[in-house]
This record gives sequence, C-alpha cells and structure tokens, in this order.
Amino acid sequence: MSSIKEYLSHDHTRCDELFAKMEDSASKSLSDAKESYEEFAKATERHFQMEERVMFVEFEAKTGMTEGPTAMMRHEHAQMRSLAKQMSEALEAGDKDKFFGLSETLMILMQQHNMKEEQMLYTMAQQHLSAEAPRVVDMMESMIVE
Amino acid sequence: MQFNGLSLEQAPPISAPLRFYLTAPLFAILAGVLTLLSDVSVLQSRYSIDAIVITHAITIGFMSFVMLGSLTQMLPVLAGVKMYRVDFITKISHLFLVFGTLFMLIGLKFEMALFNAIAIILLASGFLAMIIVIFMAIKKVKNFTPTVRGMSVSLVFALFSVLMGFFLLFSYIEPEMALYRNIVANTHSVWAIFGFAGVLIVGVTFQVLPMFYVAPKFKDFYQKRVVLFISFSLILWMITSLFFQTYSVAAKLWIVIFFASFAIVFLQKIKNRKRKISDITLLYYKASTIFLALGSLFWIIDEFYLSEHIVVVSILIGGFILSIMIGMLYKIVPFLIWFHLNAMGYMSIPTMNEMIDKKLAMTQFTLFIASLMGFILSYYFNAYLSIFAMAFIISMVILQYNIITAVLIYKRVKKTKPDFDMSAFA
Repeated sequence: MSSIKEYLSHDHTRCDELFAKMEDSASKSLSDAKESYEEFAKATERHFQMEERVMFVEFEAKTGMTEGPTAMMRHEHAQMRSLAKQMSEALEAGDKDKFFGLSETLMILMQQHNMKEEQMLYTMAQQHLSAEAPRVVDMMESMIVE
Repeated sequence: MQFNGLSLEQAPPISAPLRFYLTAPLFAILAGVLTLLSDVSVLQSRYSIDAIVITHAITIGFMSFVMLGSLTQMLPVLAGVKMYRVDFITKISHLFLVFGTLFMLIGLKFEMALFNAIAIILLASGFLAMIIVIFMAIKKVKNFTPTVRGMSVSLVFALFSVLMGFFLLFSYIEPEMALYRNIVANTHSVWAIFGFAGVLIVGVTFQVLPMFYVAPKFKDFYQKRVVLFISFSLILWMITSLFFQTYSVAAKLWIVIFFASFAIVFLQKIKNRKRKISDITLLYYKASTIFLALGSLFWIIDEFYLSEHIVVVSILIGGFILSIMIGMLYKIVPFLIWFHLNAMGYMSIPTMNEMIDKKLAMTQFTLFIASLMGFILSYYFNAYLSIFAMAFIISMVILQYNIITAVLIYKRVKKTKPDFDMSAFA
C-alpha cells in the first residue's frame, strides 16, 4: 500500500504526462486536441477532488487547521480550474496563441503548486495521518468524481 | 514545518525580484559600450584593467543581480522559507549594489582610490546583507532537497568570492597588496563562476527542468553527489593553485569533468523531455549546454597553450551562464506578472505568451549568440570587434525592452479595477 504522499505525487506525474500529451497534439492540430484536453482536464479534476473531498478533509479534521495550507491549496485549485476552462474556450475558438499562452501559465502554476504540496503538505499529511493512510488512499482511489 | 511559501500574501512582493531583473540588462549594455570603446589589443589580456571592468559589469551587474533576484523568488517556492524583511533588504541591497558596482567600475578604470574605497563599503553592505539574510532563511529549511543544498553551497562560494573580491579591490588602493593580486584573482574568478553561479545553476536545474518540461528526473546519485564533487574540486583548485601550481591541472580536470558531464546530461534530459514544445527559454537552455561543454573543453586544452586562449574560455563560460539566465528571465518575468495580478483578483490578464513579443525575443537571441561567436572570432581577427559589440548592445537593449514591456503590462492592468475582490483571501 502506497503512502498518501507517494499516491498523490504519482498522480501529479500522471497529470503532467497528460498535459504534455495534450500540448503535443494541440501543436499538431488544435481541433484534434479536444480529446486529449478532456483526458487531461478529467484527470486533473479527479486529482483536485481527491484532495478537496478526501485528503484535505481528513487533514483538517485531524489537525484543526482549516484556514492554513489546505485553504491556500483550494484557492490555487480554483485558479487552475479557471485557466483550464479558458483553455477549453480557446480550443473551441480555434485560438492557438491564446491556448498556448494559457497552457504555459497553467504549467508553471501547476508545478509551483505541486512542489508546495509534495514538499510540504503531503509530508505533513503523511505524518499526521500515518495510522489512517491506507484508509485515506482507499477512499481517494474509490472516489467518484462529482 | 514552514508554510510561509504557501501563503500568497507572504510571497515576496513582485518588486523584490523585478528590481534586480530590470537593472541587470543595463549593466550588460554598459559592458557592451565599454567593449565598443576599448582598444582590442588591451582586451586580449585578462589582467588588463579594461578587461576586468567589462567582466565585472557582466558578472556583478548582470549575473549576480539575476541570481540574487531569483533567490528571493525561489526560496519560498523551492525551499518553503521566507527571507527576513525581504522588501526592505532587497530595496537597500539593490541600491548599494547598483552604486557599489558603478563606483567600482569608475574607480578601477580611472584609478581613483576614493571610488574604490566607497565601492568596497557599498558592495560589502549589499552583498553581505543579501547573503546573510538568505542564509538565515535557509537555516529554517526542514526539507533539505538537493536544490536547497545547491543553493547553500553556492552561497558559501559567493561569500568567499565576494570577500576575495574586496581584497582584490583593496589591492588597487593599497599597492603593497598588489603582489598577491594574480594568485587571489585565480581562485576568486573560478569560485565565483563555477562555485557561486555554476553550483546554483546545477542545483536549480535538478528541480526546474523536470518540472517545467516534464523531462526525466536527474538520477538520485547525481542529485546527491554532484554538488559535493564540484565543491571538492573547487577547494582542491584553490589549494593546488596556491601551493602546488604544477598539480592545479588535476583540479581543473575534475571541475571540467563534472561541468562537462552536467552539460551532456542536461542536453540529454532536454532531448528526452515529454513536453515537446519548443520556446525561447529552451533555445537558450540548449545554447547554454553547448557553451558549457565547449568552454570546459577549451579550458583544459588551453592548459597546453599556457592560458593563451583564456579570454575565449571566459567568453564561452560567460555564454553558458548568460544564456541560462536570459532563458529563465523570459519565463519567470511573464509568470510573476501573471501570478501577482491573478492573486490580486484580475482574471482577464494577457497570457504569458502575449507579454513578450516572440519575434523580438527571437531577434534578441540571434543577436546574442552571433555577438558571442563574434567576440571569439574577434580575439583572433581584431578588426570586427566593434560590429559584434554593437550586436551585443542591441541584443541587451531588446532584452531590456522585453522585460520593461512585460512590467508595463503589470502596471497598466493594476490601474484597472480587479474582476474579483480578493480581500477575503488576504
């Protein structure tokens, strides 16, 4: 059974790879990129929800920190959702420059965000939730995206 | 556990890094103008005053400014710690460093002892304030990653290079000290370039390249050991060049092996990246690996020519550091502007790609590469130096323009009303 940190860090890598795949197909043809965009957006949304609806909730309940790091992470999720939405609009409009401008921004934002999570929040979550880790990972694994 | 880096309002104000980034190209322009006005034959000696002045306009004025600016920005993100009174310290240090550098350049060029003395005080205050505050922040780091280790080691080399620099500058005030000048200058230059800049670049690349280009990670062994090996070789270089001159080639070989291997590994990772997109930053990264590989190779070959071509080696290694820094500026400046505006609640912001004109960036890159190749050529064919000095000046003027354009977008958007009131998040 992998730890919370390993499980979610691994999911970051998966989302990064889907991101690269989406960009690659968009650089060839914007209209063909819709499918890979959906794949990326779906994986990212699932990742956000695994955190927001499972891990963050457990973390907040255990530590009592509701206004701390998890609040900031939720805020950054909102920023990334907004960028992803704008990307889908650029895809619809066939605006390649706009799409890549947004994807570049999303990429850097995403990486800064992932680093904060992997280096700080996940480590902290793993420490506080070590006894419950298998259950938390199970819950994330079986979660249905809303 | 530190959470300062997670909090937006505790991230450094955008002015902290931008202050350094905006002045850096100005010093590069100054270096270009000085090259244009200098006598070619004088520049062919690395110990000539003109060569020293031009070198320091670049190394202090451009390189150390970009590094200090970036450290203020990177510490919260890469290390999760915040600098003590970051706004105040960067403001003061930046001012001291700008004037310190100018006083030093004038003092050296026109042999004015008073200017050199003022320069020592200003540069000492500026550099030491930054180095101490960054050290204080690093002391709080809990999760000591290879990148944080790289930053700390690089700062130790920065500290010693700067101290040696003060001694060297002092030797122009107190002629008795001039006797030791060349021997200290040897360690000063190699430690500043390979220790301060080189180690910082290696450390940051470990983290940044796999992240932003979805490139394969550097091997654990490499991440953990390479900085240690480089440090060891740099210390060995100092000892041998001070006491066992005949053996210094062995230390040089060590330094070269680690940096050349880094260049090759870096290029390989770029090649194997999953994110296939190519942009100006990536072009600069590729150029930097080629400059580094060639520079290292030439440095060793030059040993057989009794350092006759050391100026060419310096241009190549300078090209490595400048390329990686300019490439990074093209990414970090637009992102910071987007990031800070977004955090203030602005939603309809120009995208990163719209902030800097791609064609202008490409022109800037072409002129920059052409000028560096031209500088090497001019070392052997003197007549063309002025053309390439002009190309370098224009490329740095464009770089300055590109950064200013992005900053002006920030100012313009900030004058408008935000789309959302973000005070609830503050």
